[in-house]
Amino acid sequence: MNILSIAFKEIKQDFRDRRTLIFMLGFPIILMLILGLALTNAFSGDLSVGDLKVVVKDTTGGGQLSEAFAAFTKEAGKSGITFDSLPAGKNGRTEVENNRYVDYVELSGQGISLYGSSRSTIESNIVQGMLTSFADKYNAAAAVAQTEPAQVQAVFAGGAGSDYIKELSINANRTPGSIDYYALALTVMVGLWAAMPAGGLIQREIGRGTAVRLVTAPVRKSEIFAGKVLGGIVTNFLFVIVIIVFSKYVFKAYWGEHMGIVLIVLLSEVIMALSLGLAFSYLLKGSASRGIISLIVQLMSFFGGAYFPIGDEAGGGIMGFLVNLSPIRWGNHGLTQVIYGNDVSAAWPAVGLYIGFAILFLGASIAVMRRREGL
Amino acid sequence: MNVLDIRGLTKKFGEFVAVDNMSLTVREGEIFGFLGANGAGKSTTINMVSSLLRPSSGEIRILDRDITKQSRFAKLNLGIVPQDLAIYEDMTAYENVSFFAGLYGLRGTQLKERTEEALEFVGLSDKAKSLPKNFSGGMKRRLNIACAIAHKPKLIIMDEPTVGIDPQSRNYILTSVRNLNESGCTIIYTSHYMEEVEEICSRIAIVDHGKIIAEGTKEQLKSTITDVKDIRIEVKSAQPAAAGVLKAIPGVRTVLQEENVIRIHSDAAVDNLNRILKQLMDDGMEIRSVEEKEPNLETVFLTLTGRNLRD
Repeated sequence: MNILSIAFKEIKQDFRDRRTLIFMLGFPIILMLILGLALTNAFSGDLSVGDLKVVVKDTTGGGQLSEAFAAFTKEAGKSGITFDSLPAGKNGRTEVENNRYVDYVELSGQGISLYGSSRSTIESNIVQGMLTSFADKYNAAAAVAQTEPAQVQAVFAGGAGSDYIKELSINANRTPGSIDYYALALTVMVGLWAAMPAGGLIQREIGRGTAVRLVTAPVRKSEIFAGKVLGGIVTNFLFVIVIIVFSKYVFKAYWGEHMGIVLIVLLSEVIMALSLGLAFSYLLKGSASRGIISLIVQLMSFFGGAYFPIGDEAGGGIMGFLVNLSPIRWGNHGLTQVIYGNDVSAAWPAVGLYIGFAILFLGASIAVMRRREGL
Repeated sequence: MNVLDIRGLTKKFGEFVAVDNMSLTVREGEIFGFLGANGAGKSTTINMVSSLLRPSSGEIRILDRDITKQSRFAKLNLGIVPQDLAIYEDMTAYENVSFFAGLYGLRGTQLKERTEEALEFVGLSDKAKSLPKNFSGGMKRRLNIACAIAHKPKLIIMDEPTVGIDPQSRNYILTSVRNLNESGCTIIYTSHYMEEVEEICSRIAIVDHGKIIAEGTKEQLKSTITDVKDIRIEVKSAQPAAAGVLKAIPGVRTVLQEENVIRIHSDAAVDNLNRILKQLMDDGMEIRSVEEKEPNLETVFLTLTGRNLRD
C-alpha cells in the first residue's frame, strides 16, 4: 500500500509540473511536426516494391525447400520483386553492402537466412516480412508432411499465391513518410528521456528535505524505492502513450496493426531508461549525474536516429558500433519491423535488451541504496 | 516512564567522533530542551534517534523498545519536525499531511479526520486546499509541524521549529508546542533562541563536543553558576584585540565580543570591574554603558561551553 501511495504521489507531482509537461510532451510534438514537415522530401514517399532486388544463393542442391522457394519467388515476382541467383565467385553480403541488392537470401540445409540492407530498411523489411510468411507456410507444410504427406500440396495451394504479399506488405494506399518516421523515432526518444527525471528521483526528495520524513516513517527503504520507480515508470509511459495518440490522431502517423506489441517495447524501454537514470544518480553524486545522463541521452538520440535516419548501423566501424549501441536504435529497428513488416517477433530482441539492462541498472542502484544511510 | 533512553551512544565519521558515549533520558510528559552550538553533536544525536543515521555503538530505546530491533514500533511512536522544511510545495496542505499520515498506516475516515485535526491544530484549516508555495514562512513551519503530528506520536522531536519566522508565528508555534505537550506528547525541543527554551522547556541538556555536559531544570542549571557574574559593556568602536587582553585579567573566565558589545563572565568573588573598564579605556575604547546581569540560561551555556549558542 505504501508503494502505491508513493507511486501515486510521484505521478501527481509530475503531472503538476508544467516544465516537465512542456519538456516531455510539448517539445517532442513540436519537434515531430517541424522535422516531419521540413524533411518530407528526404523520405521516399513513392516507394514501390518494384524497386526491390534480392540476390539468392541456394546450397540445398534441390529438394522440397528449393522447390517451395522457387514457387514463392515466382509469385513474389508478379509484384515486381526481382530474385537473382548469386553468380559463382560473388559474395552475397558484399553485393548488399554495395547497394546492388536490398537483401541476400541463402537457402541451406539449416533453412533460410536473410542478410538485409540497412540503407533500405523499409524495402528490406518488406522482403523480410514476406520471407517470414513463406517460412511459416513452409514450416506448416513440413509439419503436415510428417503426418499426412498427401496434404502437403494443399497447404501451398490453400490460398492465392500472392498471400505472401497480402499478409505482409504495408498498407497498399500508404508508404512511410517523414511524419511516420518521426512519430516512431521521437516516441522512442521520449521513452529514453525517462532517464533524465529518474536521475533526480531520489535526489529531489533529499533536496526538498522530505527524504527525512520518508525515512523516519514506518516504511522500508525498499518500499520508498519501489514506489518512486513505479511512479516514474507510469508517468513516463503515460507521456509515451500521449505522444502516440497525438501523432496517430492529429498527425495521422501510421502505427501499424500491433499496438499492444508496440506498447510492450516502449514500456520496457521506459523501465530501462528509468533504471539507467537511477543507477547514475546513485553511482555519481550531486549534479554531475544529471549532466552526464543528459549527455548520454542526447548522444543516444542522435546515433539512434531520433533526429534523422542513420543507416549505417549494420556496417562496420565506429559509427556502426555507436548506432548499434543506442537503445533508441534497438527500439526503432524492432518497431519498424513490427509496424511495417508485420513481424511481431522482431520486438522481442529489443524487449530482451531493455529488460536485461534494466535489471542490471536496478541491481546496481539497489546495491548502493542498501549501503547508504538515509535514502 | 522513560519515553527515550540513550545509553553509551557513539557516532564516528571516520576518525571524527561526533557523539561520544552519550547517555540521556527523556521522561514522559516532558518538554526536553536539547541545546548545543553548531557541530556539538546535537543534530547527529537527533538523526540517530530518528533512524536517519546508524549509531557506531550504544543503544537507543523509545518507550522501552530498542529502535534497531523494533524499528517499526519506534517509528510509529515518533514524530519529526525537521529544521529544514520537509513539505511538498506542489501538493496542497491537505495532501501533504494526508500523504505523510498515510505512511503511518492511517486509511479512510481515520486518515481524513486526523489530517483535518492536524491542520486545525496548526491553524491551517482554511488553507487546506492551498499550495504551500503560496504560504508565508510561518505558515510553512506550521504545516511542517502538522505533517509530524497527524499520526499522534508519543514523542515529537522539534529541531529549530521557529527558525526564520515572524514573532506572531513564533508565538503560535510555542503555544502549539505547549498544547501538544498538554495533550500527552513528550517533546524534544532544540532552538538557537535561548529565551524560547527557557520559556517552554521543563528540563534541559547541554551538549558539547558530542557529550552531555550539563542536564537538569533551568533552575538547577542556573544554580551551577552562582559564582559567576555576567557583565555587558557597550563601547564605541571596539578593538578586535580587546577580548584577548581582557582574558588576562584575574577572575575573567570568558569574553565574547559581538560588534560593540563585550560580554564578560567573571568570578563573582573577584572585584575586577574597575580594572576591566580601565583596560578598555587604555586601549582607546570609549565606554557607553556597563550592565551586570543575573545569570540566565545563556550565561550557563556560555560559561560551560565557552561559546555562544548561535556560534
